[in-house]
Amino acid sequence: MASINGVTIAILLFGIGLLGLILRRDLVVKLLSLGLVNGSAILCLVSLNARRNGVPPIVHSLAPAPYVDPLPQALVLSAIVINFAVLALALVFVMFLVERYHTTDSQRIEHEISREEEER
Amino acid sequence: MIALLPLSHFLFAAASLAWKRGIRGLLLFSLLLDAALIGGLFMRFAHGETISLVLGGWGREMGVELADDRYSLVFCLLVLLLAGGAIAYLWQERLRPYFYMLLHLLFGSVFALLFARDLFNIYVIMELLTLTSFLLVAYERRAYQIWASLKYLLLASLGMGMYLFGVAIIYYHTGTLNLGLLASRLVAEQGTPWLLLASSLLVTGIAIKSGIFIFSLWLPAAHASASPAISALLSGLVIKMGVVVLLRLALVFPLSLPLEVLSVVTGLLGIVYAIYTYDLKKMLAFHTLSQIGYLILGIGIGSELEIIGSLEYAVGHGLFKGLLFLAAGAAVQATGQKDIPGLIIKRTQIPLAARVGLLVGTIGIMGIPPFAGFCGKTLLSNGTESPMMQTILLLLSVGTVISFAKLIPLFRFERGPSSPWSRTSAYVILGLPMVLFLPLTRLFLSIDMWKETFTTFHVLESLLVVGVGYLIYRILPKRPLPLPQRIFRLEEGILVILAGFFLVFLLFALG
Repeated sequence: MASINGVTIAILLFGIGLLGLILRRDLVVKLLSLGLVNGSAILCLVSLNARRNGVPPIVHSLAPAPYVDPLPQALVLSAIVINFAVLALALVFVMFLVERYHTTDSQRIEHEISREEEER
Repeated sequence: MIALLPLSHFLFAAASLAWKRGIRGLLLFSLLLDAALIGGLFMRFAHGETISLVLGGWGREMGVELADDRYSLVFCLLVLLLAGGAIAYLWQERLRPYFYMLLHLLFGSVFALLFARDLFNIYVIMELLTLTSFLLVAYERRAYQIWASLKYLLLASLGMGMYLFGVAIIYYHTGTLNLGLLASRLVAEQGTPWLLLASSLLVTGIAIKSGIFIFSLWLPAAHASASPAISALLSGLVIKMGVVVLLRLALVFPLSLPLEVLSVVTGLLGIVYAIYTYDLKKMLAFHTLSQIGYLILGIGIGSELEIIGSLEYAVGHGLFKGLLFLAAGAAVQATGQKDIPGLIIKRTQIPLAARVGLLVGTIGIMGIPPFAGFCGKTLLSNGTESPMMQTILLLLSVGTVISFAKLIPLFRFERGPSSPWSRTSAYVILGLPMVLFLPLTRLFLSIDMWKETFTTFHVLESLLVVGVGYLIYRILPKRPLPLPQRIFRLEEGILVILAGFFLVFLLFALG
């Protein structure tokens, strides 16, 4: 079971997200898959630098302890916030499109838009 | 001083929402402040002093380092000029306060990126740039703009996810994300499998944002559908930021072979698409892809002269592509025609200033001496010895001339309606430095390099290229070529990006 760790799960999630982005035509599912892709990158960053039996990097005494590296967690925090912003903005734009075309199907939206462009 | 440049803009962004009446004055004031700060940086640089600042007092290993060098200062000048041009163009238009906030955010993050020396900091700023340009493209809320910018957001965000994977691997193996420290730590690691994977992930992520053909298939739709001033800023500035990051990466990772191959691919494919595109703004967008080829080629070869050459060409391209987009936008607006044949029929309705702007931009991009394009192209072809690279550069130049020859009938001298003073001044702000480019180049080159570069041979060569290009344009059949258009859709775009990633990985393994 040693092969199941954060990194392999991250790679698996990345693959699932990528497949969702390519194969599913629903825009909301696409956004969820994008969230999966970005989330897997975050998982990878955290779990690569994880430390088994580590202690939080708060110094109580001068004795050396297996402190965890706090930097990846700090980095990941801003990445999570950014992904949230991306998801929120993208959803607003999907909402605009749905209001206009009454569908979340990306291929139909693409088709409608290219037809409108020819008419202009 | 160096931290004040981006920070002041973020502050102004908040202020411009609060103080709606003085919003344009605020924008102008912030640009003047920038000019003063950049002037100060230049003075210190001229004394041989470069600034390096680590925020938060953490040391270079963990902290965020900001530093300036020749590259970032040159790009600062480009930012100032393009921002001035775009603001002058928009001066008389009524826009929501939210638009000005986005402009401030855009300039602030561009400045921050120019000084960034840290892989994760670059990631954050790149995402900020994506979000602001995503909102700017869709500012007018038309359906096709929203769709184009949504595609952009999805692809760019996927790219940044891949970039973050690369960052994770690098941090795990080296324990730092500072580019300066990485350069020394990676020397012993050349050719290890994890480095191959990490660097190809990083390059793929950035390439999606920097307008390389197989990665940036969102670009033609997004840049062609945005409003003129936004297209000018995106094409002239935001795309260049990806190139700046590639330049920084090239100083640390062995990028030479991948970048050379990618430059050839993007240059030639961009030109083929541009030749057979008759929608004016779309053609300009395809040319952004093709001209990135020059910049990447210079960075890929990587000698001193080549990097100066691609820097020069980046600034020149920013100026003339900005000018072309502004003038093209005005022309399309005045006539209601998007296609070049339609524009030619209605050319008397195009304002005279816009037509002159298009002419100057075309002269610049064709590389007619002594204007901006000529300087960059000559430096690039002088910097390399290999005949193959020089042939490629010649091919790119001829292709550029062929696709811009379509515009020549627009330039017949006829009176047209006059345009508002603000737009005319925008054309002057971008056009004048382009015309005066040669003397400005002198500041960056030693006298020997100067004499070697600008010889009669090169002048004749570039004139010959223009002649040959025009001839080929006349002979070429005018039938539209059925080029694949499916690749510009969302799903196929992702597949092409994946293929591009494997290509980059392969090239890393070979190089």
